[in-house]
Amino acid sequence: MASKEAVPSPAQGVGPTYRTDEEKPTATVSKKVSYENVHVLPQTPQLIALLTMIRDKRTVRADFIFYSNRIIRLLVEEGLNHLPVVEQSVTTPVGRDYLGVKFEGKICGVSIMRAGEAMEQGLRDCCRSVRIGKILIQRDEETCMPKLFYDKLPADIADRWVLLLDPMFATGGSATLAVDVLMQRGVPEHRILFLNLIASPSGVAEFAERFPKLRVVTAFIDQGLDDKKYIIPGLGDFGDRYYTL
Amino acid sequence: MESTSPFYSVVPEVKYSPPWHDLSIIGIAGSSGSGKTSVAMEIVKSLNLPWVVILVMDSFYKTLTPEEHTKAHANNYDFDCPDSIDFDLLVSTLEDLKQGKKAHIPVYSFANHQRQPQTTTLYSPRVLILEGILALHDPRILKLLDVKIFVEADMDVCLGRRVLRDVRERGRDVEGIIKQWFTFVKPSYTKFVEPQRHISDIIIPRGIENITAIDMVVKHIQRKLQDKSESHTEALRKLGLLAAKVELPQNVHVMPATPQFVGMNTVLQDPATEHVDFVFYFDRLASILIEKALDMTSYVQTTVETPQGNKYLGLHPKGSVSAVAILRGGSCLETALKRSIPDCVTGRVLIQTDASSSEPELHYLKLPPQLEEHSMVMLLDPQMASGGAALMAVRVLIDHGVSEDKIVFVTCAAGETGIKRLIAVFPKINIIVGRIEPDGEPRWMEKRYFGC
Repeated sequence: MASKEAVPSPAQGVGPTYRTDEEKPTATVSKKVSYENVHVLPQTPQLIALLTMIRDKRTVRADFIFYSNRIIRLLVEEGLNHLPVVEQSVTTPVGRDYLGVKFEGKICGVSIMRAGEAMEQGLRDCCRSVRIGKILIQRDEETCMPKLFYDKLPADIADRWVLLLDPMFATGGSATLAVDVLMQRGVPEHRILFLNLIASPSGVAEFAERFPKLRVVTAFIDQGLDDKKYIIPGLGDFGDRYYTL
Repeated sequence: MESTSPFYSVVPEVKYSPPWHDLSIIGIAGSSGSGKTSVAMEIVKSLNLPWVVILVMDSFYKTLTPEEHTKAHANNYDFDCPDSIDFDLLVSTLEDLKQGKKAHIPVYSFANHQRQPQTTTLYSPRVLILEGILALHDPRILKLLDVKIFVEADMDVCLGRRVLRDVRERGRDVEGIIKQWFTFVKPSYTKFVEPQRHISDIIIPRGIENITAIDMVVKHIQRKLQDKSESHTEALRKLGLLAAKVELPQNVHVMPATPQFVGMNTVLQDPATEHVDFVFYFDRLASILIEKALDMTSYVQTTVETPQGNKYLGLHPKGSVSAVAILRGGSCLETALKRSIPDCVTGRVLIQTDASSSEPELHYLKLPPQLEEHSMVMLLDPQMASGGAALMAVRVLIDHGVSEDKIVFVTCAAGETGIKRLIAVFPKINIIVGRIEPDGEPRWMEKRYFGC
């Protein structure tokens, strides 16, 4: 009994709060981190089921695309909540006053090629005419370090809020480089939001300390990294599963 | 001396009875060829209401044995005596309908004198007309009838009509018809049909030609329906008063007012918003509601293997999820529904609220088969004001075998009294509400969405 308590299982009951523990199925949920700028989506049974689908190697490409898009939409919705709004009151079609809010500030998406481009559809589903910049980062064969190969960003990016898109957040090498590029273009750190599906605990920790004002929105923080710096349990190569397999 | 048995106080149960509960049943009897069917049709026409159903007693003929079958073909079987009709089944069918339940009406084939394997489903009629030569025969049925009518015509006229009908429509020969008339129909008339005359409320001589009599019957039914409609509206109002005192329980999920969610609601409620923008933001907001609703279904744990061979303990949804749109508004939510479940099985129910009486009326119903086996059934309606239509829709699902705890009502905006009323009657359903709006808000969202 005592040993059980010493090593808490990552598995826990998930489900609406009003259900008793017996009625909740058990599943592995996201690791908790204590950085204020890291936001993990609520671990609802629905989200866990979607993640289960895309982690499963038997899931075919069409389903992989469909279920990833659903998670990405949830991520985008959560990400957009960090954007500023101002009060606005309207008189409704039935003549009642409603004190609401108005979206404030221009936004743009920036995807890290190629996997990040898979998240553009989800972004467009929530923000119709959003501008999208691209950054291509590849590993330099000589130094083994990520290297910027290409970028194409909106000219006025310094005035915008940036949603940086990359589904898998392992070591954070590419993301760090991408943030450096954005900041060189004049985007202040606090106006960058990094959206990803699955993150590694070490990647998140390093990144959160390095860019304390930048917000990370993720669906799940996994157990860790393997020798090849792949996230475990992860879901394989996101780009391959989305585009080619 | 005996001790006094303990006394328990009774907590009044909060109930909702739809208007088809305690439906009006009219029985029309009379000789073959007297014009019962024409009178029934005329009543339906004059009432000019949805959900008036004629139930013909022919559907309840017993299945014949092979010997009886041969007899029937030789015009030697008595179809006019009470024994040929399955009164037990008829009584239980009428009782079910009277209680507002769904009933299965047998289909009888005259070609081979057998009940067919398929049945016709009858649900929620407001007025039912039971028509048959022996409609007023069984005392159990008499108790269920609101009006008892006997249609009378001269026996010569009856025979004449029967000959014409059977030759033209049923391809029978005159000799056989005459034989059957004198062997069975006429004796049966004297023995079983005619006595019904004395227990009827209204005798209509000359059938269809008797406009005055038919008009009287129609007026009587209309008056009864008016009373029922008033008590239904009154019951809905009382439920609201009763429910106003309770707090919103945990199974009512009001969406958190996040900046984006409030922002979308602002765009939607601003009359200056363009139609395309309205549709876009409505679909986006509705998608969030649907995703939230999907948390309410059951999940089972499962272990999957990732492409690198790692194991993950996750969840799979259990069973299938379906949706029922409360028309017309509910179909606004289908775009969002199809985003999350592209092949979602979807039923439809048209409930319209009468503008003058504010009483909801069920006009149309098409539910997917095996609905009761689904692990969750979402009821979609963009707006809920008093909750009258919602109450009716939930009642319909429950009457079709869906258990209460599997129903999730999804709405963009609802009045608090409406929600409380719904949850007071059906405490186990889940309700997903986008935004609480003032009570009695008129429905406007579907008008904006559809542009008319």
